[in-house]
Amino acid sequence: MSDVSGEAKLEVKQASKEVKESENVAEKYSAMTVSKNSEMNMAELSSAFSAVPAHKPVKKVRSQIQFVEDKQEFSRFPTKAGRRSLSRSISQSSTDSYGSAASYTDSSDDETSPRDKTQVNSKGSSDFCVKSIKQAEFGRREIEIAEQDMSALISLRKRAQSEKPLAGAKIVGCTHITAQTAVLIETLAALGAQCRWTACNIYSTQNEVAAALSETGVAVFAWKGESEDDFWWCIDRCVNTEGWQPNMILDDGGDLTHWVYKKYPNVFKKIRGIVEESVTGVHRLYQLSKAGKLSVPAMNVNDSVTKQKFDNLYCCRESILDGLKRTTDVMFGGKQVVVCGYGEVGKGCCAALKALGSVVCITEIDPICALQACMDGFRVVKLNEVIRQVDVIITCTGNKNVVTRDQLDRMKNGSIVCNMGHSNTEIDVASLRTPELTWERVRSQVDHVIWPDGKRVILLAEGRLLNLSCSTVPTFVLSITATTQALALIELYNAPEGRYKQDVYLLPKKMDEYVASLHLTTFDAHLTELSDDQAKYLGLNKNGPFKPNYYRY
Amino acid sequence: MSVQVVAAKMAEVELKDVPTGKDLPAVSPVETPASEGKSLARGDPQKAGSSDAASPTAEPSAKAGEGSLASLAPNHAKMPQASAMKRTDPQQNGGEAFVNRDGTVAEAPRMKKIQFADQKQEFNKRPSKIGRRSLSRSISQSSTDSYSSAASYTDSSDDETSPRDKQQKNSKGNGDFCIKNIKQADFGRREIEIAEQEMPALMALRKRAQGEKPLAGAKVVGCTHITAQTAVLMETLSALGAQCRWAACNIYSTQNEVAAALAEGGFSVFAWKGESEDDFWWCIDRCVNVEGWQPNMILDDGGDLTHWIYKKYPNMFKKIKGIVEESVTGVHRLYQLSKAGKLCVPAMNVNDSVTKQKFDNLYCCRESILDGLKRTTDVMFGGKQVVVCGYGEVGKGCCAALKAMGSIVYVTEIDPICALQACMDGFRLVKLNEVIRQVDIVITCTGNKNVVVREYLDRMKNGCIVCNMGHSNTEIDVASLRTPELTWERVRSQVDHVIWPDGKRIVLLAEGRLLNLSCSTVPTFVLSITATTQALALIELYNAPEGRYKQDVYLLPKKMDEYVASLHLPTFDAHLTELSDEQAKYLGLNKNGPFKPNYYRY
Repeated sequence: MSDVSGEAKLEVKQASKEVKESENVAEKYSAMTVSKNSEMNMAELSSAFSAVPAHKPVKKVRSQIQFVEDKQEFSRFPTKAGRRSLSRSISQSSTDSYGSAASYTDSSDDETSPRDKTQVNSKGSSDFCVKSIKQAEFGRREIEIAEQDMSALISLRKRAQSEKPLAGAKIVGCTHITAQTAVLIETLAALGAQCRWTACNIYSTQNEVAAALSETGVAVFAWKGESEDDFWWCIDRCVNTEGWQPNMILDDGGDLTHWVYKKYPNVFKKIRGIVEESVTGVHRLYQLSKAGKLSVPAMNVNDSVTKQKFDNLYCCRESILDGLKRTTDVMFGGKQVVVCGYGEVGKGCCAALKALGSVVCITEIDPICALQACMDGFRVVKLNEVIRQVDVIITCTGNKNVVTRDQLDRMKNGSIVCNMGHSNTEIDVASLRTPELTWERVRSQVDHVIWPDGKRVILLAEGRLLNLSCSTVPTFVLSITATTQALALIELYNAPEGRYKQDVYLLPKKMDEYVASLHLTTFDAHLTELSDDQAKYLGLNKNGPFKPNYYRY
Repeated sequence: MSVQVVAAKMAEVELKDVPTGKDLPAVSPVETPASEGKSLARGDPQKAGSSDAASPTAEPSAKAGEGSLASLAPNHAKMPQASAMKRTDPQQNGGEAFVNRDGTVAEAPRMKKIQFADQKQEFNKRPSKIGRRSLSRSISQSSTDSYSSAASYTDSSDDETSPRDKQQKNSKGNGDFCIKNIKQADFGRREIEIAEQEMPALMALRKRAQGEKPLAGAKVVGCTHITAQTAVLMETLSALGAQCRWAACNIYSTQNEVAAALAEGGFSVFAWKGESEDDFWWCIDRCVNVEGWQPNMILDDGGDLTHWIYKKYPNMFKKIKGIVEESVTGVHRLYQLSKAGKLCVPAMNVNDSVTKQKFDNLYCCRESILDGLKRTTDVMFGGKQVVVCGYGEVGKGCCAALKAMGSIVYVTEIDPICALQACMDGFRLVKLNEVIRQVDIVITCTGNKNVVVREYLDRMKNGCIVCNMGHSNTEIDVASLRTPELTWERVRSQVDHVIWPDGKRIVLLAEGRLLNLSCSTVPTFVLSITATTQALALIELYNAPEGRYKQDVYLLPKKMDEYVASLHLPTFDAHLTELSDEQAKYLGLNKNGPFKPNYYRY
């Protein structure tokens, strides 16, 4: 059963991947690039604003400089965790779960651009723009499946439905449009909010889900495979509508915020707050705030404890095994594995591999993390010392050129190389594209690179993120992000005047704890309550927050 | 090594067992903390007596207090137990004892006793689990423990003269010290040499920094536990160019032999095991108040030395470049001073460094939970149902160890985030009363009080083991077990069987005090991390350019924290990867660190 579905998924994925490859944009896929692109685009926009954003930028020089600057700032971003999430904000990764699960209705024979179509849902509303409204039923099924695994959001719906904490809220959102987001949107609607939605990634939209949302009356502007032009057109349609002004923004990547900021600065007068999910977007908000240009409060939900831990440690602990199995069917027991980097991602990978009986070594640059690795029972080595003997190399450093050609040359036959870290920089894949080496694609995402002497190295996902390319992200993890977003919206919308100023805030610890508590039911976990006496002894409120802000968990 | 330790401990017990009768004066201080601990636990009026006794000036009342305490000493306590208690109590009571003393000092010049109550409350109000944790067992406090299990064999207590009344000189003719017996120096030297083996980081630091003498001209006055590990630290400081004068921060924890070896080596040490409260302050005073020598650095553990100088010699602060403080209690006092605007020199909080915190809690407890349970009960872990109350750093350590041994582990939590972590790590999250009937072992590590109450104890099954890894002795409501219908039976040192009328037995370890302090040892390697951090903090404060540190409490710079970790890596034969220039540029990092932002969670 699982085998079959696995194969089916692979095939589907392969198909969808091939489309992308044929479009010759190897990395469009990684949402980061998209946001970079869009940033570049935005630079053009801000310089030549009235012009319609074009594919071939008129002021190319300027935009490119901007791009470089952006990139540098970006790489200067100091946290490993940060950098990590950047490359794979959970919602970004939902792209993938899409690809493997939901494209079956996506028959690409209809080539008319959705912009040119006039569609009406069953209630006669046409305030949306999706691929085909007829797919609504398929989408509804997808959403119902997602609801099963997002019990926290559903229980939030139930708990808060009577008081309608978002009554009067007009939310404009720009996120990946997937079944999981749909559950979020419908929760927001159930809590009283009006929503208009657009996609933050030109490839990640599940057309059926968008259709299902449109059918229920949410104004959605998104389809899979938008052009850059379409992308901004959708955002604009979302914001620029008569008789409706948003008062909340839910953003992923900061594109929507940027667009509103550039085109409709007056809208900010009515806006009560921005909720931003990705590192890129948060980074942009901090920059705005530093420049004194942020005119509304913003909530950084990316750095909440719950999200960070799930995004990195727990998620990678599962996906490393899944990704390797799906692509190579390797057996882990007794294999010698070297994991480069012992941050949250590295810790997750090591724990999983150790549990399956692999012999795991670590490379680290940070002595504190190295000492942690030692205490957890892993040998800390330099890559050069073990490169000849290892069977699997996993990079998760956030750095570049961690595995170089020189090291690839010395690897033994049949060893597997993959990346769980940052973008596609960690393995120097470019250095493998030389004439003497033969590349052989054996499966989707699996390349054999063959040396003249016949030695083969198995490269996964061409050095891109293994867990995004070759495994799925559990809905449960997305549920945590979505719940956090919903709570952040409620908090910002209902905060008394003056609690939040024009700055970027972290979600209050109490909310963070609430998100966690909503997810405990899934595990049938029974939380102990403090007695009055105990609470007094500890100097805590019985309902939390339970820890000081600097607590490391 | 560990075998040796055990042997030594047994020898100690034997040795102690013999002189019980004739040795009363030596016994009574040994007994004191036990009864003090009990009186504190019960909150009975003796507390007032003991804090009176602590007054540095009121000698008569001290004697009276001691007398009353001695008479209070329970006669059921045979020597083996007593020696065990002696081991535990100084540290276990560490927190309270400090507060006690704190209150006392406050009492002496200006403040009143009310202050004492206040401070204790504030103390409890401390919000952090980590904080509370380390408070109860600052590593250096626990060093007492490895001491007592290893090194008291030379400690024949037949010499009853107070060291204060003796005139001793070392082989170089120097008499500027006050210790039990200079003749024990050779034994102490051996202890120090053993400790050096397991403190490679400090030795490496010695070698690396010896050429440049970063502490040349530093005059360090210190108040810490005086153990072989501290001795390695002091000799390192000296090798780096500093002059040191030292006193003990705990009246029981001094290793007399080590003090002797240090005195022989030319250090001015004022400390012996079993000081009275009066002796304690006299030693500190002798340390500070010496002609022709003014300290310019303070290394403190508990804040007593700082307090003394602050009260008695405020002018001294003019020359002082900085304070390095290790314990939570002391750090808390410094923050209070700083808040009140009364801190006139920079201070370094080494307690909250990442390396220390992780070793102090997670790694250390991961080992000691198994060790402690094995030593006391010889229980087999495989398949046993264990409930761990609290999933903070300590709880995480305990759970990991027990899971690895094949136990079935349940967790109770109040914080949903930690609860979710427990779920994701594969532990069933329950309420205590749901599983209390079926579990074989209950371990508390919440930092809270009355986590295991009489009602639960009543419902436990026969043979269930109850122990505490958390805070002080509040977590298990032991007092509620002291009722007439229950029979207490002491079966071993630190192990009590509490027997219900129907014959059910509960195995209570260390009377609900900290298991890992009472029944297991703290590895030298862990102490090495603390000592290295202290040495680096001293170097940093002493060499910092004017203006880098103001009159405030600072955390050790992350770079130093990373350096401490890197010094300990060779022990594991760990090979750290270095960034290439290109990579460092790409990450926007310096090649030599710091590698993480301050808020990184590790």
